[in-house]
Amino acid sequence: MTDLWRLDLAQATKGLKKRDFSVTELVSSCLARLKATEPIIDATLAVFEEEALKTAKELDQRGYDPSQELWGLPLTIKDVFCLNDGPTTAGSKELANYQSVFEATVVQRLRRAGAIFLAKTNCDEFAMGSSTEFSAFKPTRNPWDPTRIPGGSSGGAAASVVAGQAPGAFGTDTGGSIRQPAGLCGCVGLKPSYGRVSRYGIVAYASSFDQAGPLAMTVSDCARLLTVVAGPDDRDSTVSRIPTSDYLNLKIPKPADLVLGLPKELWPEDLPAGLAAVLKEAKKLLTEAGVKFIEVDLPNLRYAVASYYILASAEASSNLARYDGIRYGFREPKEDLVEQYAQTRAEGLGPEARRRVLLGTFVLSSGYYEAYFRKAAQVRRLIAQDIARALSQCHCLFAPVASRSAWPLGAFIDDPLTVYQMDLMTLPLNLYGGPGLCLSAGLDPDRLPVGAQLWGRPFDEMGVLGAGALLESLWPPLERPKIVS
Amino acid sequence: MTNNRQAALSMAKLARLGQTQSEASQADQLAQDFDRIVSYMAILNELDTTNIEPMYSPMVDPLGPRDDEPRPSQPQKSEAILGQAPETVGRFFSVPRIF
Repeated sequence: MTDLWRLDLAQATKGLKKRDFSVTELVSSCLARLKATEPIIDATLAVFEEEALKTAKELDQRGYDPSQELWGLPLTIKDVFCLNDGPTTAGSKELANYQSVFEATVVQRLRRAGAIFLAKTNCDEFAMGSSTEFSAFKPTRNPWDPTRIPGGSSGGAAASVVAGQAPGAFGTDTGGSIRQPAGLCGCVGLKPSYGRVSRYGIVAYASSFDQAGPLAMTVSDCARLLTVVAGPDDRDSTVSRIPTSDYLNLKIPKPADLVLGLPKELWPEDLPAGLAAVLKEAKKLLTEAGVKFIEVDLPNLRYAVASYYILASAEASSNLARYDGIRYGFREPKEDLVEQYAQTRAEGLGPEARRRVLLGTFVLSSGYYEAYFRKAAQVRRLIAQDIARALSQCHCLFAPVASRSAWPLGAFIDDPLTVYQMDLMTLPLNLYGGPGLCLSAGLDPDRLPVGAQLWGRPFDEMGVLGAGALLESLWPPLERPKIVS
Repeated sequence: MTNNRQAALSMAKLARLGQTQSEASQADQLAQDFDRIVSYMAILNELDTTNIEPMYSPMVDPLGPRDDEPRPSQPQKSEAILGQAPETVGRFFSVPRIF
């Protein structure tokens, strides 16, 4: 069996359980695929070949364990999750040689469930970006067209899954960083509700927005990965006590029972024709099956980008203050302490991180706090109320995940405001805090994936996953890109 | 809201506050980008937010405070933690002299 890397998580478990192949064979296949595709897509920052094969061998020797939900399944993980046996760089020079002494709760839960980490995946520095071009180390490339970006900031995670380097991955979504790359690369990505998954051990960007979640090739695979990581953690007081659900037991609605809201603000008339045509066809398939659509209003949505970037940058400027070159990370040695701080951060932080630190410092500074930071938080309330009102009329909101398909590398690298504005399709959900799921609606005329997303009420992951599974069953499956011959 | 030009002019002060000085060659571009971004943020002025409670977090029903009980620290890790520091003296982090 040479093509085990093509299996999704459910198929892989089925084969492992029946002993059609061993964990070592599965892991070896994914590692071989990783080696073959990596020179083209640059999705990873560190590969754990030796450790992964060692763990695989141990699991093979012990035999299948049904109590471990992810027994023998290879995963990749975004390089913002702390591991205690590998590097954690967050895509930044500041942490280029950082070795964590503790592990993220997500990592611990995945390991306990029997998952095997193959690699850490590339991301925009500190998860700030939507193209993975702001990684301090290298840009990642889209598996469908390596001249284009994979989206971001979890671009490495999405690219690795679509390329077949692993059947599943974990990323983080602060303003769309799971959903948008999943959409641009052509896999499924789930942003759980804020407070559903512990943030302990995840390098912080914006603490009232950051949320970890899975990426995989199917909705049920994402549900399965969520099952393992969701729920309270006494090391993160922002995790909710609201009980988790049996996400494995997906409740797929009948088409006629599903009502999807179309926020007109997220369906602009100037969507590129090729992308709009794919979404139109996807909607047609749903309508023909009996799904009902209603129009809903999100009247304050045009303020979402400003609100988000003020609040997230403020939180980022506070979170990034810890990178001072004293206790860990990069240091530019100087005789004077203050000069050392400044030079360390000037050398260690990249342009986008510096931009956000400056913006955050500005909106929190004396004289501007009320006008910017507090105002943005008030607007966040209005936007959250709009989304809640819209969701009271339907099961989920339905929208494109991006206003364009994957763009050429470098196209917007010098135009930060335009890139921020492109996040309009995803970041309002992070202001609100509900769950969101992105899946592929098809390929545009340039053979680039077009992603559609569902937004749900806080902690209604079951509703979003169930609706997503229905959409997945009604849309043609997306093939994998041909990356290497 | 605020005078954006004034904001842009105080870039040097902001850089000092945020400890993120930039190379002179990048400073102009950074200031230009910053000016554009801050100008865009003025869109929020269109909204009347009188009496709107700010929303600083979407947190619902978070875990309550833990019991205030002593817990073991991780002394076995102190070496590993110190090992991450760019410079140490004995069991301490080292910084440049400040007096």
